[in-house]
Amino acid sequence: MRTKPLLLLALMLPLCVHAGTPMALGAGDVAALLKPPAQGERIIALWALDCAYCETNLQALAKLQQTHPQQIELVSVATDSIHQQDAIEARLKAADMLAWPARAYADDTPERINYLLDPQWGGEMPRTLVIRADGSRQSFSGALSPAQLQKIGSL
Amino acid sequence: MRFILTALLCFIALPLLAHEGMAMPKGPELGSSAAIDGKGRLWLVDAAEGHVRLRHSDDFGRTLSAPLEVNAQAEPIYAEGENRPKIAFGSQGEIYVSWSQPRAKPWTGFVRFARSLDGGQHFSAPLTVHHDRAEITHRFDAMAVDGQGRIVMAWIDKRDLEAATAQSKPYLGAAIYYSVSSDRGASFATERKLVDQSCECCRIALAFFRSIYGDNIRDHGYAVLHADARASEVQRATFSQWHIAGCPHHGPGLAIDSQGVLHAVWYESKDKPSIWYGQLQPGQAPAHSVLIAGAGASHADVAVHEREVWVVWNHVNAQGYELMLRGSHDGGLHFDDARQIANTPAASASPQLLLWQGRAFVAWNTSAGFRLIPTEAL
Repeated sequence: MRTKPLLLLALMLPLCVHAGTPMALGAGDVAALLKPPAQGERIIALWALDCAYCETNLQALAKLQQTHPQQIELVSVATDSIHQQDAIEARLKAADMLAWPARAYADDTPERINYLLDPQWGGEMPRTLVIRADGSRQSFSGALSPAQLQKIGSL
Repeated sequence: MRFILTALLCFIALPLLAHEGMAMPKGPELGSSAAIDGKGRLWLVDAAEGHVRLRHSDDFGRTLSAPLEVNAQAEPIYAEGENRPKIAFGSQGEIYVSWSQPRAKPWTGFVRFARSLDGGQHFSAPLTVHHDRAEITHRFDAMAVDGQGRIVMAWIDKRDLEAATAQSKPYLGAAIYYSVSSDRGASFATERKLVDQSCECCRIALAFFRSIYGDNIRDHGYAVLHADARASEVQRATFSQWHIAGCPHHGPGLAIDSQGVLHAVWYESKDKPSIWYGQLQPGQAPAHSVLIAGAGASHADVAVHEREVWVVWNHVNAQGYELMLRGSHDGGLHFDDARQIANTPAASASPQLLLWQGRAFVAWNTSAGFRLIPTEAL
């Protein structure tokens, strides 16, 4: 009878590791993040501590992910340094975003990570990347409109 | 007497600079400003450990003096992107330094100012430029000195946004306020509003700025600031129709030639990332527009001397940054091809063009050190 709770705990561990606390995103980690998902789509929500439009955008994407839990994977990526992990996590908590995996830049040239993630991105915030299972990609600058959210959610 | 305040707003350069890397010890932030005085001495201000630091060089940047702390008492200082310490000279050798001081809450700040009347040996205790002391945004300061020695400070200010929000009224972006000192920086007059609803996260190129037109269309506005009581009129100066409910993080650059032509550079990404050059005609689309650079390009600056026009910018790629230059020899009608004049694998701040005796130099601060780079082809 003891194995069941243990198994449950083991299953929960990856969740605990991935959600909430931001993990480092270095130049070498970008390829894995951009790899097309096995099904549906991965949404990479880029935001920054100093971006007033970003939190509502993260929340809108979170809501969208909750309506398609099997098809959409959502990862938030703060372009602030992972050194600001505490501030990033506090902001994610305040925005009720701790349930989703979070990353933060770990490179002394953040623009290089911008470029590796999306060469067509000039750093404007927020930025949303959508990577579909068929390898196609789409990106959006600015807080997403209802029409854009609908487009992203129409799998 | 009119005061040309080129306010370039909307460019916070936030994601750009000054984020320390994992392996990097916590060093000085990269946001800095440089200027060359009439005697050919280069001056550099940046921030480290709560102090704005002033250094100078008499050999065009090859060696820098020991730093002098402008503010004796440490305080928080913004030193990222365009939100960086600024330096300007008065007509009698005064050295003026300004910066934005973060307050406790996110996105808040005070605009700070200090002066030296003895050639940079001592600085006055810093003062807060605006009379409003609410813990809100007053930051992204820009500074200029006019022909009569008056100092103009302009900044992004959220008091009207706060007031509108308190009354549940809509308000897009933030306002721009400015203040003038007519006593060599001993005091600043009560601030006045230049314009409502500018881009809240952008920089001011003292009089050319990114504004919000209609529903979040972020183009640039232009205004001539008057030091006297006359109102300043803001006119739209770019018509890219870039619609974004967000932070562009790219401010414009402006240089005015002896004929009064307004040479400007700005960024927009309506279809794809683009840096443009054009000559502003407030109220209508710029003349002689040239696409300067595309994806990967950011943080352009422009300078003009007689018929020579220089445009520089940072270009990022997978290896790091290239410092790029395009020059014009006919007043901006035609530009040479882009040329790389420096590169670095290190983090780098926005390049800044400096003129001295008709020559152009680029001040480029990287985490590998400060460099002053000549623009002439070798």
